[in-house]
Amino acid sequence: MTRIRCYWGWVAAAIAFRLLLICFPENLNLGSRPEVATPLTSLRRLAEGYWLKQSSMSPYAGSMYHGSPLLLSILGPLTITRSEGQPAHFSCSLMFVIVDFVTAMLIHATGQKLMTKCHQSLQFLNLSKLVEASGNVDAGKFASLVFLWNPLTIVTCVGSTTTPIDNFMVVLAIFGACSRLAPLAAFGWVIATHLSLYPVILIVPLILLLCHGLDAPPSKLFQQKNSDASGSSPSSHSHAKSTQTGIQAHYFSWRPALHFLLWASIWSCYVLFLSSISLKGLGGLLEMFKKTHGFILTVQDLSPNIGVLWYFFAEVFDFFRNFFLIVFNMNILFMLLPLAMRLKHRPCFLAFVYLAISSMLKSYPSVGDAALYLGLLGLFANELAGMQFSFFLFCGYIGVSLLSPVMHNLWIWRGTGNANFYFATGIAYACLQTVLVVESVSTMLKYDRMLRKHITT
Amino acid sequence: MATEEKEKPKGGAARSRLIVRLGAFLVSHNLFVSVVCCIAGFIALLLLPVLAKNTYISENALMPGSANPAFSAQDVMEANRFVKDIIDQRTIEGTGIEIPRLVGQHMAGVGAEVYYHKFLPHKNQFHPLHFFSCTPNTVTVQNNSSCASFGVNSVGIIRAPRGDGKEAIVLVTPYNPWKIELSEALSLGLAFSIFSLLSQVSWLAKDVVWLAADSQFGEYTSVSAWLKDYHSPVFFSESRKMNVDVCHESNSHQDRNHITVKGENANAFRRAGTMAAALVLKVLEKKERQERDSLTIYAEASNGQMPNLDLINIVHYLAVHRQGLRVKIATIGSLLNSVWLRSVGEIVQRLCRVAKSLDPRWKYDITSADYVEGSATLASSMYHQAIGVPTGSHGAFRDYQVDAVTLELSPGFSLKNENSQSAFFLRGGRLIEGVIRSVNNLLEKFHQSFFLYFLTAPNKFVSVGVYMIAFALLIAPLPIVAVAPFSGKNEIRLSTDKGNQTPGYTCTDEIEISIGSWKWLHAAKVVFMTHLWAVIVLLLPYFMSQIPYISPTTSMLVWVAVATSALLILYLILGSPYSNDCEWVLLKSVMIAAAFIGLGLMSIINFSTAQIGALIVVPMCLIVRPLKRHKEVALCMRVMLMTCNLVLAVIGFPPTALLILKGLSEGFGRVGIGDFWVWAEFLWIWNSATYLYLLLVHLPCWALYVHILLHP
Repeated sequence: MTRIRCYWGWVAAAIAFRLLLICFPENLNLGSRPEVATPLTSLRRLAEGYWLKQSSMSPYAGSMYHGSPLLLSILGPLTITRSEGQPAHFSCSLMFVIVDFVTAMLIHATGQKLMTKCHQSLQFLNLSKLVEASGNVDAGKFASLVFLWNPLTIVTCVGSTTTPIDNFMVVLAIFGACSRLAPLAAFGWVIATHLSLYPVILIVPLILLLCHGLDAPPSKLFQQKNSDASGSSPSSHSHAKSTQTGIQAHYFSWRPALHFLLWASIWSCYVLFLSSISLKGLGGLLEMFKKTHGFILTVQDLSPNIGVLWYFFAEVFDFFRNFFLIVFNMNILFMLLPLAMRLKHRPCFLAFVYLAISSMLKSYPSVGDAALYLGLLGLFANELAGMQFSFFLFCGYIGVSLLSPVMHNLWIWRGTGNANFYFATGIAYACLQTVLVVESVSTMLKYDRMLRKHITT
Repeated sequence: MATEEKEKPKGGAARSRLIVRLGAFLVSHNLFVSVVCCIAGFIALLLLPVLAKNTYISENALMPGSANPAFSAQDVMEANRFVKDIIDQRTIEGTGIEIPRLVGQHMAGVGAEVYYHKFLPHKNQFHPLHFFSCTPNTVTVQNNSSCASFGVNSVGIIRAPRGDGKEAIVLVTPYNPWKIELSEALSLGLAFSIFSLLSQVSWLAKDVVWLAADSQFGEYTSVSAWLKDYHSPVFFSESRKMNVDVCHESNSHQDRNHITVKGENANAFRRAGTMAAALVLKVLEKKERQERDSLTIYAEASNGQMPNLDLINIVHYLAVHRQGLRVKIATIGSLLNSVWLRSVGEIVQRLCRVAKSLDPRWKYDITSADYVEGSATLASSMYHQAIGVPTGSHGAFRDYQVDAVTLELSPGFSLKNENSQSAFFLRGGRLIEGVIRSVNNLLEKFHQSFFLYFLTAPNKFVSVGVYMIAFALLIAPLPIVAVAPFSGKNEIRLSTDKGNQTPGYTCTDEIEISIGSWKWLHAAKVVFMTHLWAVIVLLLPYFMSQIPYISPTTSMLVWVAVATSALLILYLILGSPYSNDCEWVLLKSVMIAAAFIGLGLMSIINFSTAQIGALIVVPMCLIVRPLKRHKEVALCMRVMLMTCNLVLAVIGFPPTALLILKGLSEGFGRVGIGDFWVWAEFLWIWNSATYLYLLLVHLPCWALYVHILLHP
């Protein structure tokens, strides 16, 4: 196994680098970049909402704030505390650094669990030589380092947006499901859904994780192995062992799912209760839903971002708007079922694919979403080692992330470009993400095929 | 079994996706493709003057020359009187305030709103990274010095009788109040006569602002300071304003801040609306005599930005077709006489004739002389855009998205002659009046015509759609060569070393292949390290410019020494690029990818820089090969490759390239080591993105090139 040298040193360096950067928010001014801050996650909008709330107005008055009232209560007081000699939003940024660190640790822990499971199943399939030969990396450490040192994560963390919290909740849900803690998974899922709506689709991989267990080779292989073992080798010892593990692999119970749903309903009631307390007298829950989830679904803010919807809805005729809103929102849902069927034996990977797809098709995407799914991608470093076009994707991500601010500058500040210039980078980014999803899924399936080939020969 | 398995997935992939198959075809013939594309790129670049089209006015609202000019002999007399006043002032020894005050009084005399704008000159500072932000010159004013010297712009505003005060047209005349020349006085006189005419006309729909800019610290400084204050309202709490005020109080005995006109407070900053266009007016007396008055147009702003082509078009149209002036734009004189270019011109002329005989619809009719002149103009246009430094004070306007040009009028005869001076005023005045009238007709911002173009003559241009072809052809081989090591065959070749040890064992073999697809990560680390080093080198001058009293030569030596030691330290920390796991083929491909991204980005920020840079970087990327690996090829080929590599290594290094160029143009005796420092300083003071390109794209590319050459 390829060891990662001085892991904790790298983690500490990542934290130190963030701390260094948050001392110069004015120089970087990342909070005003459309790639980093969206109307949903901008901390400046949150501060505005908090100010409105403090002066006994609905925080959703006007069209400034579109986040959760809970964030307002937690982060709001931090936006106005300002001690001498410190840059604005320093305490918020400090909190985001801590959140990033915790997220990385959760990814690390998830990776450890996935690794253990992977080793177990490969050992059971008598393919442990595969593990040694491939010289695989410690997925948890690798993924958490990828997450921490990804420039997109750093930019998101330093750029004073609330995206680190959204990402933390998503990772928390996945971690909870991996360690079979239904209450924790439900909590992460409910809060993540409450904050940014799109993680609602993660319910499929979460239930699969809870009911079916962690990522493993397809169950067909275990059956095959079992039948082979019972047929060819009469050794009772290995037989007993294999049936035991085999049963474990097939075991699918609905109990944890019900457990999860129960907890999810408890948590959502609790969140709604807290929100209603927080918004008491300032416009009820209905307004909250209209201004947060409704705002996400109806794509009201058409200011440019790195997605593709703003351009489309700026061009589309008004009387077709509703139709296309339905089409675009259904687009994500269409892909859920086929993917779930094909990848049901790898729920964690399924969660990664869902996150990548939703970050591609969501109404207000930012680089923070890419930071999350690229971090999770690191968890499957061993399985995806044979991925095609890795170099192309790497260069593409670098190219697009440099091109986007240049095009924006050309359009907004110099006036020699136009909206099409910026939209072109949006399309290129969407294409890159498509290639990434397609390639990673096909590589994963190829990996499973390879395992089968090794078992049959 | 093993081979069968290897071929099966590959064949499957090739059958399933046509685009992958096409890509693989291109990649497998990458040598041929790159040679063809590069040659085609060079040829397309040489053909640009042939492909230039005639300009046309695409905004219908402009209607240039549709009205008869109202500028008459009476206005000329007024101008003459004003010039005489200024010349009289010149003889009086004064505090430098007399002429601004005189201009202000005359402005007020024709009924305009007048105020005086005071500004402090700014120090040369290192801020190349600011080219990206919206406000180009965020200058921090130094506190202790320069209180004694500040400039005074006199500004007059005519409110439009038919407008709502939301839009304005700006007229700028730079002059030096301490040492005013006759030509500067003439430009002031011309501007004043137009201004007084405009104060009487009824058709004005946009406010007219006349800025008599104090150019004692440079033309650009005064205009940019005024524009900065115009666009960013300053409140009294801000330190900058306070600073100027403090200065005033300390200088109060000089009565410089007691400029009042008719009792009004003339120090309050006033604004008109957003600027539709700006004209910078200059008069230049040329040594040589010509039969006609001539007009030179300067348009290049910072970082290769150009004003909308329509603005140049109306100026050209009115100057040539109404006033009979000779319109010129800058050319590179040495190219006009170059034998080389003339012979290319002959060939092009012959080719055009052949093309015309094939199909008479092809209107590529160009004579050799036209071609040479077109190329010299194109080269100058490209050079000025590539340097990224504005060619005049019009550059300051472009930073606020205002289209502006400098019009440099030069009389054909001596200005001492009263008659010829009056005729000159009449022509110049009618031209400016016509241009202002056209811009006044404009309903929206200039947007119809091109922003991205090169001029090959005052009435010929190459648009972005055409000149991009040359660049695209030139850099097209880069991605193809970059992915060549990752295409099917090579990938297996890279990973067979270990796979061969256990033949027949498919498992390891396959995994080797799969690991092979991530092998470029080591090369990427080296490339990343080199770029990190480049960032350090980029930022070094910031610290060095803090040291006072240091000569350019010393600075340059220190710069090189620190940069080299930084590279060595990075080697020590992160490991040498020659470690075992980094193959030069992969290093080359990652280097090419980085260069491709860099060139692509630069082509959007400043096309000309990217085009000129690509002429050096692309051959460098394509031809590079370790010197020790040349043994495999034939002798003559080996010698050729070797010389090519060495020549590229020398001219690819920015300082040596600059020294050679300078030596060729000015003689090698006058070339010093410090020249590059001076030049780099010039670039970063002007926020030129070219500086960033040189150090973030070109320099790492060159460093990697040398790495690969020396690869064991």
